[in-house]
Amino acid sequence: MNASDHNRWSEDLAAFVLGALEREEAAAVERHLEGCARCQEEMRWLAPALQTLPESVERLEPPPQLRESLMAEVREDARAARAPARPARTRSWGWLLKPAAGFAVVALLVAGVVGYEVGKDGSGGGEGGGTTVERQLGDIDVKMVQEGNSGTLELAGVHQLPPDKVLEAWVERDGQVEAVPALFVPDREGQAETRIADMSGVAVVMVTEEPQGGSDQPTGEPIMTMKVPS
Amino acid sequence: MAVRREKAERLADEDLMPLVGRKDPEAFEVLFDRHGGAAYSLAYRIVGDRAAAEEVTQEAFISVWRSGARFDATRGSVRSWLLSVVRNRAIDFLRSRAGKAPKLTFDDDSVLEQRPAQERTEEEALQRETSAELRGALGKLPGEQSKVIELAYFGGFSHSEIAQMLNLPMGTVKGRMRLGLEKIRGDLAEGLA
Repeated sequence: MNASDHNRWSEDLAAFVLGALEREEAAAVERHLEGCARCQEEMRWLAPALQTLPESVERLEPPPQLRESLMAEVREDARAARAPARPARTRSWGWLLKPAAGFAVVALLVAGVVGYEVGKDGSGGGEGGGTTVERQLGDIDVKMVQEGNSGTLELAGVHQLPPDKVLEAWVERDGQVEAVPALFVPDREGQAETRIADMSGVAVVMVTEEPQGGSDQPTGEPIMTMKVPS
Repeated sequence: MAVRREKAERLADEDLMPLVGRKDPEAFEVLFDRHGGAAYSLAYRIVGDRAAAEEVTQEAFISVWRSGARFDATRGSVRSWLLSVVRNRAIDFLRSRAGKAPKLTFDDDSVLEQRPAQERTEEEALQRETSAELRGALGKLPGEQSKVIELAYFGGFSHSEIAQMLNLPMGTVKGRMRLGLEKIRGDLAEGLA
C-alpha cells in the first residue's frame, strides 16, 4: 500500500471511532484494520481522545429512583436465574462415603467436624443476638454468622481460583445435600463469603471448588467442612 | 449483605465484571454507584431530558447486567465500555424518537446546546469540576472541529449527514474530525487536557 492509499484509510479512522461512518464504510474500515498494523497503531493512539468525550459532559446526579428501580430489576433477575435449579440439586449426603469420592473427602469432613468440636470455645453470641462460630480448618479461617434463620459463611485464607472455577457452598439438611444458590469467589486477599438464606435444620456446611456456573452436586474435594451447632 | 458489599467495593472494575457475569447483584450495584452518574450525565447530554436519560441509563445498565460476559478487558476500561453502551443506547433512542435518524433540518447550535437549565447544587458543582477540565479539551478546539465532533458523538449524525447540514464536502468533515481528535490526543499526551 502506498502513502496515498494509507492516507485515505487514515482519514476515515477518526470518523470511524466517532461512529460517524455509514455501515458499509465502517465494515470496510474494520476489514482494513485487521491487516494494517499502522492503522491499528493509529486507532490505539486516537482511542484516549474518544474517551474524553463522554467524560466532558456536565456532571449530574442520577435520580435516586433510577438506582432503586434498576437494582429491583437486577435482584429479581438474579432470583429468577437461581430459583429453578434448586430442587434438582438435592442429593443424598451418602455420596461422600462412596469410594469414588475418595478418602480425602471423608477425611476433610471428619477434620471439619473435629475442628468444630476442638474449637468449640470459638462459638459465641453475635451482634444483634446472632450466633457466631469461628474455626481454623487447615489454612482457612472460617466464620459462620447466624442471624435468625439465615447465615453468612465467611472464609479467609482461600487460595486464588483459576478463571474457570468458582466456590460453591453446600448444606446438609435432614440427610440431604443442597447447593447454596449464590456462587462466590475469593477476593485478592483470599477472602470469600456467601449467604445461606435458610439455615433451619442445617447440620453441616461444606464448600467445594466447582466449574463456572456451579454444579448440581459437589464434584471436587471440599476446601472446608464444618458442623453447625444446633 | 453489608459485608459482601464492602468486599465488592474493594475490587477493581475489571474484577467486578466476572462477578457481574455470574449475576452478583452486589458487584453490579458497586459498578452502578461508580459509573451511574457519568452514564446518566452522558445520556442526558445526548437525549436532552431527564426522564428519557433515566430510561436510557436503566436500559443500558440492564443490558450490561445481562451480557456482562461480553466485556473484553483487552479493548479498554470497564468505564469506557459502559459509557459506549450508554452512548449507543442514547443515540438509538434519539433515532427511534425521530423516526429514523436525528433531524436533518436543524439549527446545529440548538442540538449542541440542548442542556436545559438545571437546579444547581453545591454537590453538583463539585462533581462538575473534573468534567469542566475535560470540557476544556473539547473547548480548546477551533469551533469548526468541535462542532463536527459533537454532532457525530453526541448527535449520532454520520459524516455525510453532517456534511449536508453544514453544506461542506464530506472530505472536509472527515478532515475536521481527524484534526480535532488529534489535537485532543496531543493535548492529553502533553498533559494539557
